[in-house]
Amino acid sequence: MGNGIFGIGISGLAAAQAGLVTSGHNIANANTEGYHRQGIIQSTSYPLRTGSGFFGQGVQVDTVMRVYSQFLDTQVAQSQAQASYQSTLNAQLSQVDNLLADTNAGLSPALQDFFAALHDVAASPASVPSRQSLLSSGSALAARFNSLNSRLEEVRSGVNAQISASVTEINSYAQQIASLNTRIVTALQNPSQPPNDLLDQRGALVEKLNAVVGTSIVNQSDGTINVFVGNGQNLVIGQQAMRLAAVPALDDPQRLEIGFVLGTTTGRIDSSLLQSGSLGGLLEFRRNALDPAQNALGRVAIGLAQSFNDQHRLGQGLDGVLGGDFFSVPAPAVTAKTGNTGTLTVSAAVSSIAGLTTSDYRLAWTGANYTLTRLSDNTVTTYATLPQTVDGITISGAGAPAVGDSFLIQPTRNAARGFAVAITDPMAIAAAAPVRTAAAGANTGSGAISAGTVNAPPPPDVNLQQPVTITFTSATTFNVTGTGTGTPLAVPYTSGGNITYNGWTLQISGSPAAGDVFTVTANSGGVVDGRNALLLADLQTRATLAGGTASYQGAYSQIVSAVGNQTRESEVSAKAQESLVSEARQAQQSLSGVNLDEEAANLLRYQQAYQASGKMLQIATSLFQEILDLNG
Amino acid sequence: MRISTNMIYELGSATLSRQQVEQVKLQQHISSGKRVLTPSDDPVAAASALEITQARGLNDQYHTNAGVARDKLALEESALADATTLLQDVKTLAVYAGNATLTDADKKGLAAELESHYRQLLGIANRTDGNGLYLFSGYQGATLPFSETAPGTVAYAGDSGSRNVQISASRVLQVSDAGDAVFRAISSGNGSFDAAPGAGNTGSGVIGPGTVTDMVAWNAAANGKDFTIRFHVDNAVVPPVTTYDIVDNVNNVSLTTGAAPAAGPYLRSYTPGGTISLARQAPPDTNPAAFDFGANVTIDRVPASGDTFTIQASTDQDVFTTLHGLITTLRNAMGGTEASAAAYQNALNSAMSNIDNAHDHVLTVRAQVGARLKEVDIAQSTSEDLSLAYNQSLSRLQDLDYAKALSELAARQTYFEAAQKSFLTVTSLDLFKLL
Repeated sequence: MGNGIFGIGISGLAAAQAGLVTSGHNIANANTEGYHRQGIIQSTSYPLRTGSGFFGQGVQVDTVMRVYSQFLDTQVAQSQAQASYQSTLNAQLSQVDNLLADTNAGLSPALQDFFAALHDVAASPASVPSRQSLLSSGSALAARFNSLNSRLEEVRSGVNAQISASVTEINSYAQQIASLNTRIVTALQNPSQPPNDLLDQRGALVEKLNAVVGTSIVNQSDGTINVFVGNGQNLVIGQQAMRLAAVPALDDPQRLEIGFVLGTTTGRIDSSLLQSGSLGGLLEFRRNALDPAQNALGRVAIGLAQSFNDQHRLGQGLDGVLGGDFFSVPAPAVTAKTGNTGTLTVSAAVSSIAGLTTSDYRLAWTGANYTLTRLSDNTVTTYATLPQTVDGITISGAGAPAVGDSFLIQPTRNAARGFAVAITDPMAIAAAAPVRTAAAGANTGSGAISAGTVNAPPPPDVNLQQPVTITFTSATTFNVTGTGTGTPLAVPYTSGGNITYNGWTLQISGSPAAGDVFTVTANSGGVVDGRNALLLADLQTRATLAGGTASYQGAYSQIVSAVGNQTRESEVSAKAQESLVSEARQAQQSLSGVNLDEEAANLLRYQQAYQASGKMLQIATSLFQEILDLNG
Repeated sequence: MRISTNMIYELGSATLSRQQVEQVKLQQHISSGKRVLTPSDDPVAAASALEITQARGLNDQYHTNAGVARDKLALEESALADATTLLQDVKTLAVYAGNATLTDADKKGLAAELESHYRQLLGIANRTDGNGLYLFSGYQGATLPFSETAPGTVAYAGDSGSRNVQISASRVLQVSDAGDAVFRAISSGNGSFDAAPGAGNTGSGVIGPGTVTDMVAWNAAANGKDFTIRFHVDNAVVPPVTTYDIVDNVNNVSLTTGAAPAAGPYLRSYTPGGTISLARQAPPDTNPAAFDFGANVTIDRVPASGDTFTIQASTDQDVFTTLHGLITTLRNAMGGTEASAAAYQNALNSAMSNIDNAHDHVLTVRAQVGARLKEVDIAQSTSEDLSLAYNQSLSRLQDLDYAKALSELAARQTYFEAAQKSFLTVTSLDLFKLL
């Protein structure tokens, strides 16, 4: 019997010790990342069968078990992927949001200063200082466009840098997971004795990986896990890790995409398939916030430059020369895809600023047709030939395309970068109208002639400034003479009706008498004429952009409100996702986390068990002594 | 439910940091006084604020423009006021020149005085603004508008353009009048027609400026507006009988007979100072066709047989020609014969009505300038009201409600302190302390 008591006592001591060790391990790892609390599973030893029944043989420790729920852990990982997606998106958007928030750095004040200077010129067209100030505010406006754009470019290169860093991180985690897979396979000789701490380490890595990119995990029977990203792209298969790479897009070298390395070649993962993790957030930000914002800024630049130039070219400078371009702005960018095999070269030009969108386009040749995809909404249009005009841009091509050739067309992307003032001479600002009208002093009728306007669009008629004489042959008809008018006779007269020749339009109203003469001449010496400047100033509030619905300021406000809304939305989503993560983690920690009070209680429990087992040994010893004493 | 010790710390610190973030944000709002710090705080308000800021900027610009317009109009106004005063002086002198007691020498003295007025008026017409730009040259601000090419002949080198300044979103105000409109487009005679004596008149007939009694009839298309009144004196009877005829020069017919003009005696008999009407008076007229040109003139004193007077549609005559004409009349005045006295009186009459016209014309332009100045005032006060409205809108969109924000800050402080204290209390509960 004594042996039995000793055995039981020792098994109790061992079990209590195992319990103490496990509790101690829990306490020590209370702050270890990914740690799941462990406990011992103990059971009664196989009983001894005697004639008087089964006698218990003490206790045995079956295994050390970690308290783990795959469901809860997966939930944490997945909500973490969404949370870091949203918080990254929010962090990136906030940069643009802050950039637009600064009222002194935004476009609005520069735009307003420019038009204020224009008004000064309109009021004092002969003043060279006013003109100089207009040129300076024009340069300031250009600088503002440039600097806003370069800030957005900085954000863009920041995105590229973070994409590269994310890819490096993903590769490192994949490598570590693969090597843990290897160690787990080795350690898992007996499926009922799992290598808890290794599993915890791997779980922590999966969670970290999920913060960078959303993954799906498949458990294998040998204890390893397979990890997939995107649309089922292998990242870790058993003990093997694949490698991702950040590679420049084929049709836009400035744009890093995610690729996977297959031996010597690199495949590409469509960025729209990576919808979670911080990497997903970066890609989403670039696709749906940065690209549209930069394009929209470019659209304001192109719209301003083109409409202003159009009106400016209808005017006349202080030097008497017809106006030229006031602003210069780059033509739409067309990039051929690397690896195009045909000889087709494509060019694009802006044909209507009202039609311009903020989207980029991809032109491809299918073998039979050109397909043009508007990238903002993936609308595809098919054309048999070029040139074609779509959304305010005219796309022309020369040469023969090969099947699969494609071109990226970015109508507005670079406009804000290259926006500049094209003239340097204050005299060249076309504040005056190039023609003026007069009624002869000897007129006896009451006819009055309007000042006349120059017809859009530029270039103005070659005979614009030729002298033209309108002579009334009766109260209801007139003859027109002058170069370029075709000398029509007996033109019917309507009071206030438009009379248009040589690219100008004027009105005569009232009752002219026969013999009355009205003249149109070049506005030579018209230094205090501010008519064209007034027309230019009028452009500030005219809805020229977005299909004739937005002024320059309106189009810029749209960017501000779009970014503001996106930021606000992502802020709300990020907060919501943060609390989801917190809840998932609470649930997971509620099951698997270490509670020190609990462990303290366990320590006491196992200590008491240990003491009790020790006492049992003492009793067994004293029992044995009793026997020995009998002999003595 | 179990809770892990780690979670207690994590949740506690997360709560504290979240509250801290909120407080800092609130503090930023309070210190800047702005409700909208970044567009994401209120995207709609941020975008509207930009639009309103532009509208306010434009409004301020219009206010400034109105100030510019006022300066320019004030310069023109003062020039026109000077011209008006000067023309009044000229008028007074012309009236004085009609005084029968004046000697030829007196008249020459008057001519000299008028000559200086003429120079002054030329100076006013060529006046410049503060930047050396001519006020009355149309678009060609740098071009001298009026220059004397020969004595009494003043050429205009400007154009008909008027300068404009935008004083509100919907109003472009004219801030200048071209010199030809101010000093040249002045109707001669009575504004409708010129009544003048024939060059070879030998009698003492003096014609007044005449009046149009029916503007519609005068302006009717059939009216050639070119008539001659011919006189015939029958000396065979005592006292001599003076008759006259009215000839329509365009159709070359006698209005009184309806036939081709013939030598006198004529149908209508002349009374000195009586009204000569350009309408049918039957009898004595025998013209079967009724005619009425809606005008009449007065001829006084004694015309000689064969004397003529013409009535012709007014043409534009510039004020310098008028003035110079008066000066020439005064300078060349030769007293003595009845005919020369009549010629002098006729010339003086014509000059006076032309000066009246010029004076009225300049006054009219001045009244227009005055109306524009008033419009500037209205535009400025409107833009001040608008500016206030814009500021209120902006303030509503952007400005912080301090009372609300400060009480929120106080509330948050309370929450924060409570969170800190409770965190300490919860974390201090530790079984190990009791072991």
